[in-house]
Amino acid sequence: MSEVHTLESRLLATGTERLALLGKHADALMQGYTRDEVPLEALTDAALRKLLAARILWRPDEQSGVKLSPKVRDLIAEMLADETRRHVNADVAETLELIRSLVQSYREARSRGEYWQQEQQLLRLRQELDDLNGRFADAIDSLWQRLNSDFGFVSRLNDKIRENHRAQKQIERLLDGLTLIDFDELIDLVGSDGTLRKLLISQLQQQLSQHYTSLREVQRRLTELMARFRQQQSQSRLVAGMAAFLREHPGFVPGNYARRSEVPALVNRATPLVAAAAPALDRHQDTAVLSELIRQLPVPVHSPQTVEAAQPAEQQQESLVAARQQALKQDVERFYLTVVDEADAAGAPGISALGYLHARELEWQDEIWLFQVIAEYQSLPRSEQRAFRLHQEESQASNYNHVRLIHDVTLTLALSA
Amino acid sequence: MIEHGPLIERLLAGDFVCAVSDESAFRRLQDEQTREQLDTYLRPLNRRLAANPEGSVYFLAWRNLNDEAREQLSQQLGDTLHSLLPLLEWLRLVQEALGRDALVAPGDVLKPAEFSAKCEDNQSLRERLERLATDSFFGSQSEQLDAQLKQVFKRLKEHGYLLQPHADRQVYLVTGKVDYLIDLVRFIRDEENLPIDEEAPTTQEALL
Repeated sequence: MSEVHTLESRLLATGTERLALLGKHADALMQGYTRDEVPLEALTDAALRKLLAARILWRPDEQSGVKLSPKVRDLIAEMLADETRRHVNADVAETLELIRSLVQSYREARSRGEYWQQEQQLLRLRQELDDLNGRFADAIDSLWQRLNSDFGFVSRLNDKIRENHRAQKQIERLLDGLTLIDFDELIDLVGSDGTLRKLLISQLQQQLSQHYTSLREVQRRLTELMARFRQQQSQSRLVAGMAAFLREHPGFVPGNYARRSEVPALVNRATPLVAAAAPALDRHQDTAVLSELIRQLPVPVHSPQTVEAAQPAEQQQESLVAARQQALKQDVERFYLTVVDEADAAGAPGISALGYLHARELEWQDEIWLFQVIAEYQSLPRSEQRAFRLHQEESQASNYNHVRLIHDVTLTLALSA
Repeated sequence: MIEHGPLIERLLAGDFVCAVSDESAFRRLQDEQTREQLDTYLRPLNRRLAANPEGSVYFLAWRNLNDEAREQLSQQLGDTLHSLLPLLEWLRLVQEALGRDALVAPGDVLKPAEFSAKCEDNQSLRERLERLATDSFFGSQSEQLDAQLKQVFKRLKEHGYLLQPHADRQVYLVTGKVDYLIDLVRFIRDEENLPIDEEAPTTQEALL
């Protein structure tokens, strides 16, 4: 019994020592992981010897450099969730073989009454089952990682498609592995032993059925993603192809699909229609809202600068108006002179102001013209006013008030007394 | 129907409604009953709800294709064809500038500043952008790279291919109208039997 304990403590000591090597030389080992070889300048001869003895490093042949052993590489990839290098180990057959032999040894130890031996076999059996379970869990985790990142660790679509393909093959292998586990066989194997039954039947069955569901789900998602990759690829080709075609055939005109008896659904696009609206005051309840809106309108702010800048233009505007007024006044004066001239020649029938305006084809509006003719009369000195007689042709605007509308005025030269 | 008012207005104005441009409206449009309601409402306006084959964008189509509608469709097809090459060139340019081998897809984020940086480093991209921006569809008058990019993005936004979530930030989202454009390209290729291959070259796969 003590021999066994010595063996165990020696294992413990060596294992701890070798695991410590990983931490001690982490830098060099990681460089070996990212590059092809482990840089030797960072390691002493003694350290290198220890690393080789622990099978952390190995030398493929005499000429080549020192490399990480595959297991260590796997371990690092697993710890980093480095999807480019993570491996999926789906070898279930060997594990099953091992489980069978462990169960056999366990039963033999039990029948011989070797309690300690029996415990050891059970421990190893538990570890093997945990390993098996862990391998599936790791593989599924790795698959999800890849899936969720859209295979982000490779950039080109072609690589993504290849990676997806690889992942799908891994799933197939994992699923194949699962089918190798035959629970009928395991039930026979464990017999009536309660501990074994719990380990190998109820617990394992539950774990494996979970893995099976997860794998199916990942598989479905991978297929979907693959379809999307393929679609992206084909769209990209389509656009590139059409662009090249249009460049080569600048005169290309497709058929007029709008004139077909059956217009293809894709080209049937109605023209835009704007649902316009304007403020309306014909509904009493809206008035308050509208007046509120008007009050909310921002008051235009005039900075003094803009007023200054605007001044010359305003003056120009004013002078233009003044010039027009002057022209109107002169035309009216000419009208008065005409009245005087005509009266001299032919007695005094009087001249209609509108008649004069139209006969001379002057540009003034009727109203403005009449207004100016009357204003001119009013502004004459009283002595001169007496020389003219202004007759207004007017009518009452309505029966209900005394507004009178002037239609025309006739100016007559009054014979001087 | 009241709750669909803004949506109907957008559709009538010629907008394409997708999950990017208006997620809640798009979700409502996926309900068949809502679609039927809208169709009934649109009937007197001679319009109906339509979608692209994948159902990723909704827009309005003519219900009854009378002469007037056909006339307008012909004109529209002419415009579409005129804008086709510049739009396809733009898709290619984005793809290459961003170093991607998939086309932009609805929901992708595009930043003019990113293009500007890429084009400054790459003379060939710069030239292609220049040619594209001065095409009559984009119509840039400027010789400045940033002004050209601004104009290209502005036009794409006007045509509904891009969306600018914040008016003061130069960040754009690609809308589902890009899907419609690609569907249209595929349709034209199929209708006219154009020699454009969409499938992956199988020989290469076989060699692997």
